[in-house]
Amino acid sequence: MSTMPNPPIGPAASAAGNLPQRAWATANGRHRSIVLAYFIAIAMFVITSAFTPGFASPTHIKELLIEASFIGIVGLGQTFVIIGGGVDLSIPYVLCASGIVLTILSGGQNGPLIWVIPVLILLGVLVGLVNGIGIAVLGISPIIMTLGMNVVVQGALLVYLGSRQASRAPPLVVDWTFSSVGPLPINTLIWLGLAVIATVALSWTTFGRRLYAVGTSRIVARFSGVNVVPIMIATYVICAVAAAIAGILYTGFVAQPYLGMGDPYLFASVAAVAVGGAPLIGGSGHYIGTIAGALVLTVLADLLPILNLDPGALQIVYGLTILVTVAAATVRVREGRQ
Amino acid sequence: MQSMPGRDGAPALQVVGLTKTFGGIVALDKVDFTAHSGEVHALLGENGAGKSTLIKVLTGAVRGDSGEISLLGKRVAIHNPRAAWAAGIGAVFQELSLIPDLTVAQNIWFRRENRTVLHTISAAALRRRTRELFEELELPAVDPNRVVRGLPVAERQLIEIAKTISQRPRILILDEATSALSPPEVAWLLRLCKRLAGAGTTVIYISHRLAEVRAVADTCTVFRNGRHVGTKPMHELDDDQIVGMMLGRARDRLYPERTPTVTDRVFLSVRNLRHGARLRDVSFDLREGEILGMGGLQGQGQSELVLALYGIHHAQGTIEVNGRRVRIANPRDALTAGIGLALVPEDRKNQGLLLPKPIRENVVLPILSQISHLGVLDKSAERRLARGAMTQLNVVARNMDQPVSTLSGGNQQKVVIAKLLQTKAHILLLYDLTRGVDVGTKADIFQLMRDLAARGYAILFYSTDMQELIHVADRIIVVSDGTITATLEGEAMTEEHILRASIVSIGTGVAI
Amino acid sequence: MNSAEPRTDALARPPGERPSARGSHTFGPTGMSNTLAQWLRSGAALALTPWIILAILVVLYGARQAGVYTINELNIFTGETLTLILISFGQTLVIVSGGIDLSSGGLLSLVTAIAALHFGDGGAQMWWVMAALIIGSTAAGAVNGFLIGVTGMQPFIVTLATSSVFGGAALWVLPTNGGTVPADWSNFGNGAWLGIGTPVWLLLLLALFWLIFKRTRLWFEIRSVGSSQEAAFLSGVPVTRTIVTTYALAGLFACLAALYYITQSESGNPTVGPEYILTSIIAVVLGGTALIGGRGGFGGTIAGAYIPTLIGSVIFIYGIDSNWQALLEGVLLIFAVLLNVLAAFLVRRRSAA
Repeated sequence: MSTMPNPPIGPAASAAGNLPQRAWATANGRHRSIVLAYFIAIAMFVITSAFTPGFASPTHIKELLIEASFIGIVGLGQTFVIIGGGVDLSIPYVLCASGIVLTILSGGQNGPLIWVIPVLILLGVLVGLVNGIGIAVLGISPIIMTLGMNVVVQGALLVYLGSRQASRAPPLVVDWTFSSVGPLPINTLIWLGLAVIATVALSWTTFGRRLYAVGTSRIVARFSGVNVVPIMIATYVICAVAAAIAGILYTGFVAQPYLGMGDPYLFASVAAVAVGGAPLIGGSGHYIGTIAGALVLTVLADLLPILNLDPGALQIVYGLTILVTVAAATVRVREGRQ
Repeated sequence: MQSMPGRDGAPALQVVGLTKTFGGIVALDKVDFTAHSGEVHALLGENGAGKSTLIKVLTGAVRGDSGEISLLGKRVAIHNPRAAWAAGIGAVFQELSLIPDLTVAQNIWFRRENRTVLHTISAAALRRRTRELFEELELPAVDPNRVVRGLPVAERQLIEIAKTISQRPRILILDEATSALSPPEVAWLLRLCKRLAGAGTTVIYISHRLAEVRAVADTCTVFRNGRHVGTKPMHELDDDQIVGMMLGRARDRLYPERTPTVTDRVFLSVRNLRHGARLRDVSFDLREGEILGMGGLQGQGQSELVLALYGIHHAQGTIEVNGRRVRIANPRDALTAGIGLALVPEDRKNQGLLLPKPIRENVVLPILSQISHLGVLDKSAERRLARGAMTQLNVVARNMDQPVSTLSGGNQQKVVIAKLLQTKAHILLLYDLTRGVDVGTKADIFQLMRDLAARGYAILFYSTDMQELIHVADRIIVVSDGTITATLEGEAMTEEHILRASIVSIGTGVAI
Repeated sequence: MNSAEPRTDALARPPGERPSARGSHTFGPTGMSNTLAQWLRSGAALALTPWIILAILVVLYGARQAGVYTINELNIFTGETLTLILISFGQTLVIVSGGIDLSSGGLLSLVTAIAALHFGDGGAQMWWVMAALIIGSTAAGAVNGFLIGVTGMQPFIVTLATSSVFGGAALWVLPTNGGTVPADWSNFGNGAWLGIGTPVWLLLLLALFWLIFKRTRLWFEIRSVGSSQEAAFLSGVPVTRTIVTTYALAGLFACLAALYYITQSESGNPTVGPEYILTSIIAVVLGGTALIGGRGGFGGTIAGAYIPTLIGSVIFIYGIDSNWQALLEGVLLIFAVLLNVLAAFLVRRRSAA
């Protein structure tokens, strides 16, 4: 850190120039976490491609990007919620319901999509509103509220399904996942678009600034004239809508949606945010970091089967990697915070 | 009171060459400090001078980088609070160490209650010992089963003091222990200190209130900028000398010149404001250019009044700004109406600032809509505003991007005010802004208040320090039991009048 | 020289007057009605809420099903619920300490897997393996506690990661349900004494343990850490040690839950964990323990653990379409939490008056 010859003494000397070191360390402690996450993702990729032919081929990279997009999109929603100081555990069944209802309402056809997709988004908004109101207005803990909503959405889905069968994904949706425009899959373009919006929103808008304030201290934000409740509700709406979008795209990926397909994305969304350097208590972090987190998780999940490990061992390594990465990010942020 | 040396003449506490650095900043620079048994030893210095750091080292909250600590001639190593307790060092901190969700009795005793065979704690025994303790200390009976969380800060402070003393420390450290106490409670504490010193305890007393210090201390040590400046018997130093040692320069006026700035225009008119049990019926006017001081014991409705004006509480009654009735349902409404608030919360935790965030972000937080177009931030406007605010208030910092947490307490207060001044508010509510603030910054703040009044702001400020009210305010209202019991002007603004009005109850208010 | 004395004489009050003119509740006489009011205000009354909900459910159930208020029913319900109760004990401790344990489910799976594979035919082998499992689980929990207490990582992400590790280990050891449980052990879990089933006896034992544990210094330390880590540290509480111990205990109870579980399932189950995590959190919250930590206890958790079981039974007994069951369960859960929130709100309003 500091290599100044004589450390200055007392608060007066803080003006003399030692503090820039600290300021840089703190502001960039977060940046360092993000860079670290990208570094790990790239390192894993490079090392694996050294041992595995075809790993670095354009086709495979596209596959990786597509797989990463689902984590990336649910991670987008989770990023907003976590920055605001909460967490959203209802992602699994919002994603699942969105996908299944998509196929049922559209009957596997492209035509109805024009109204089906807005309806799904609307359902996401609805779930987000319920979550947000329960948490921000009624003061229910986010873990309990969103957990409960996950069960409710699951239940509602089962009721709706009844004896209906989930159909196939409409061809257009499948296209969105697998077709490309130039070198990039449409899916990646969609993800990119969402990423740009999220990044701008967090870094450049009043909403973003207020969100960081709310996540840092609700009381101070309120006293500063920030309307805390709508902002918190908005984060849950964003998260549910993102999960709904992810559900639509994921259905294109698997073609035939199934119950429980959203379950792995709970862990993945939180892990992506954490690996990306955002502290789970809120107040800081960024979507750019979450993207790195999504990439890390995807490359990891992709290279382990190559090592010929069975699913159990895979899970162990997955968990350990998360642990190590987040530990590294935590230690760095703490150093910067001193 | 004579100070008595301990065994073999060794002092009760001797610190030699203690150094502690945080990051790149040296908080303590080869500090020496000696205190004797039976002595009340005052430790004075501005915020950031190193007093708190020394205390943190002595109580094991923090470890020194180098130096020696000896108790009664024997060298000790204090690694954590438990070791400090074991060594006989007890402290009453500014951050209260009471566990909010435990009861009074549990807080005082649970770490030391004698175990039965099964390691259990007997509730009845806890209650009994608590009652005995409070009797011994001459504190009124306290319900030992009350959970600490619901108690006002003053009572928590008393319980904290009782808890520390119950451990019979050989060295008792009181760090701003009276900040939340009323005058009778302060008097009680000072009596207690003398009693303990008489019995051989070493009392180290830290406070910004010179009158208290003078009343109780035998010896006085001053720190400045992490160094030990001097130690003298209390009676050999007068206030000017002390302040001179603390500031390192001749003392300027603490209080600004009182210039006539009040006009006839009434900015704020409050009638029959009521809320809950604490705010019963308050009516007053606040004029342009006026500094209206609000006095009275803590918890009498002052914070409810201020929070009601700011929209945190929804009160009944009438509020008029510039002659027009306004409805204030939240802080946003208050700011729009022109009312701004700078508040030091009771627990002093966040100073009304987002501590990990940069100064720049804190300053512009209330006015984000002013520096944005269609929701998108204009970052150069942000920097411009922040720079201007920092210069205007002389905030000492390298750049606007550093986290507010790296600033000294006084500078943090300034950022709070800077933030307030960015808004369109022309009616400023300043609540206990100078609590725990050192002399230098206090003077800056008072001067600033007078300057603002001269520029046409109307200021309502609450302080528990009567001298401040008397010297800074144009007019004083005393709030007791939820109503205004006295309105004082000119010659009538004396401590005695304020006190009398503070302890009068409803129905027998005296207007002077 | 400046004047020395503060105006203590001006402040001297006639005898009998309290130093605090605040009319506060603490400094005052404590009479009988006052005590009742204090109890209500302290929120201890909140502990009754889950039991009231449970009572309502039991009555609903009893209205449709004969023979509900019998020992037999109690045996059956407790038999179904004991696994959850055991794992929720650990979760209660962790949540009161201000954290959360998402990994105890994974540990549960792992223990059932290893037990089903290595208990053999019972006897000495079973006891040795059991001892190893108990020690190992406690150590695993301690690892959680170490990561959280020493590195300062958030409990949510740490236990999320370790749940993946434990769950993965369970799958690795036992890829699908399988293994066997020695008859000795499963007979023990399903036995009875004096007409009362073993699960009920175990529950009574657990309740007794809780009554004692409630009064230990460790429990106070756990509550302190959850209430305010800073104040706890300044008060001399060994914060790190307390956190490690808390999570170690959670690991221990996950193991005990697993050992009981296999007497019911008679096989190892590597994927049983996840559902127990979420239900254990729900049980704790329904039981009146807040997720912010510092308050609550296991007494309510017992009721909280029964409630989901009973909800399922009530829904079943009223012949509700199985498709609606999940939805109703979710709604009822949120409803129950809302009741708790409402009750807490009312208590706070009365004490602020």
